[in-house]
Amino acid sequence: MGVLEVDHVNRRLQDNNGQEINVLDDINFTVNPGEFVAIIGPSGCGKTTLLRLISGLDQPEDGQVTIDGDRITKPDYSRGYVFQHGSLFPWETIEENISVGLKVTKGHNYDKELVKHYIDLMGLTGFENSYPHQVSGGMAQRAALARSIIMKPEILLLDEPMGALDAFTRADIQNVIYRVWEQTHTTMILVTHDIDEAVYLSNRIVVMTPRPGRIKEIVENPLPHPRSRVSEEFAAFRHEIQEKLNFGLEDVQEASR
Amino acid sequence: MLMSVQQTSQKKAAKAARDASKYWKKWHLTWNVLSLVAVAAAYFENKLVASQEMVDNKTYYWFLAVYFAYLLIVTVIGQFTNGRLHNYNGHFAQLNISLGVVLIIQDLLTEKFAVLEQPFFVSFAQILDQMRENAALLWASTLSSLGLWVVSFIVGTLLGVVLGLGMGRYRQFNYWAFPYLKVIGIIPAAAWMPLTMVIFPTSYMAEVFLIAFSVWFPVAFMTIGGVQGISKEYFESAKTLGFSEWQIVRKIVIPGALPSIFTGVYTAMGLSFTMLVISEMIGAKVGLGWFINWAKGTGNYTQVYAAIVIMAILFSVLFALFTKVQDYFLRWREKRN
Ligand SMILES: Nc1ncnc2c1ncn2[C@@H]1O[C@H](COP(=O)(O)OP(=O)(O)OP(=O)(O)O)[C@@H](O)[C@H]1O
Ligand SMILES: [Mg+2]
Repeated sequence: MGVLEVDHVNRRLQDNNGQEINVLDDINFTVNPGEFVAIIGPSGCGKTTLLRLISGLDQPEDGQVTIDGDRITKPDYSRGYVFQHGSLFPWETIEENISVGLKVTKGHNYDKELVKHYIDLMGLTGFENSYPHQVSGGMAQRAALARSIIMKPEILLLDEPMGALDAFTRADIQNVIYRVWEQTHTTMILVTHDIDEAVYLSNRIVVMTPRPGRIKEIVENPLPHPRSRVSEEFAAFRHEIQEKLNFGLEDVQEASR
Repeated sequence: MLMSVQQTSQKKAAKAARDASKYWKKWHLTWNVLSLVAVAAAYFENKLVASQEMVDNKTYYWFLAVYFAYLLIVTVIGQFTNGRLHNYNGHFAQLNISLGVVLIIQDLLTEKFAVLEQPFFVSFAQILDQMRENAALLWASTLSSLGLWVVSFIVGTLLGVVLGLGMGRYRQFNYWAFPYLKVIGIIPAAAWMPLTMVIFPTSYMAEVFLIAFSVWFPVAFMTIGGVQGISKEYFESAKTLGFSEWQIVRKIVIPGALPSIFTGVYTAMGLSFTMLVISEMIGAKVGLGWFINWAKGTGNYTQVYAAIVIMAILFSVLFALFTKVQDYFLRWREKRN
């Protein structure tokens, strides 16, 4: 259950001058349950656009996105979405933010123990009653993760959730995500600019190129778990991905010439 | 457990820091002593300088005595403690001195040398004496005004918030309602006065209408802006977390628009006070507005001043309450000192 198929999807949008642009062009891939897929590519290649189609926030012009053959037509809490800046609700405390999805779907008899569990797991104990502006960026991002994960989604969509964080906090949250994935086997789709992050976390890496947004290649990650960020294999695979991305950049330069 | 203790002490520290920046004038015993001297001087000035006018100054002396006692107590406590009272009175000591000086000047100008003459200008002592004499009627008028204001203000605010939320959130409703409401809302409430007097069966209803009318528009207008200013990401997060439309309204739209709603309510409060007094002057047989009009009719301007002083106190208290309510509901916002 929970096989995601992105089936020959096109997305066309109007730019500021009313010109139609192909943001996504014939995107086609399948994600099996429990996989960890990273999507990587230069800015503007349509990563966010693709993730929004999978979540159901937007609809493609052509093709379709399906789960177990059922077309996705609107957002649902079975597909969690973590935004780049977390977008915690500033008027709710950390605890209220984390429990809000349970509250609105299960009513007030939701599992309070579960909330406590995730607060502990994310290292947020002691900050339950703080408001988002009172905690650090890393904590806010962990709370945003908890808010989606607690809904036990089939698929968790992560749109550069660590993009705005410093290297230490970033590594810390990568480990949190890894642990959650290991324990729950939730399907994860992670958009990132950071090659190390993709190599460290994913089973497969989708490399995209811009204008129009296309999949250049899907690369299997050969590294066994647990992974080390400093091993030679890591560096070698990292290098391989880097090269594929540089090709992408050359394409851009040609296109803009 | 340990964490919660830590949090409480953190909160205390944050509060102390906010106090320190709010009450920024430092404690100096000299200023506090001078404030005592100023109030004492006001007493002796009134007692010793010969009066041009016949005034019963007993209530004024009571007022000065209570004021003096208050200053004495806070000066002593402030000198030997280091808490809120210390900061608060350290900050306001100079203002207290100025109040003593103002009391002396107004007394000299009116009662003592009659530079500003009766009946149009009266001393503070006369106003206080009038308030004592007419206490029952003034109290009843105050309660009546307050009651009328509370009812009308709630009606107007609720109407404004509901319409504003509707127009801010739903395009169809906005399309149909906004142009009409914009034209209607721009009309000053006072312009409706002659009509309301004949249309409504009771003058009370007419007054409620007028005051509520002055309130709903600024509230609705600011509510629309508040809703439209909410970041799209909050709505999208809500959808991916399983919110229904009603839950989006309750948990995203309302709290997100709340800062702006409070701005609208703040504006509306000032307008509503104006409308309260005007409508009472025209229609009512009770209330502070009526009291002023009645006193004017009998030529007793001291009573007019008494009502004005009470309004100043009443409306200040209402504004202070508003600020407290606002601070509570917007406690999630970053405090900017
Ligand atoms: N609503 C929209 N209307 C018009 N154009 C859009 C819209 N959203 C995205 N685009 C365009 O589509 C392209 C892809 O945008 P998208 O946000 O998906 O890129 P991205 O790969 O996520 O980039 P980044 O890494 O910078 O987040 C961009 O050129 C962008 O200008
Ligand atoms: Mg993006």
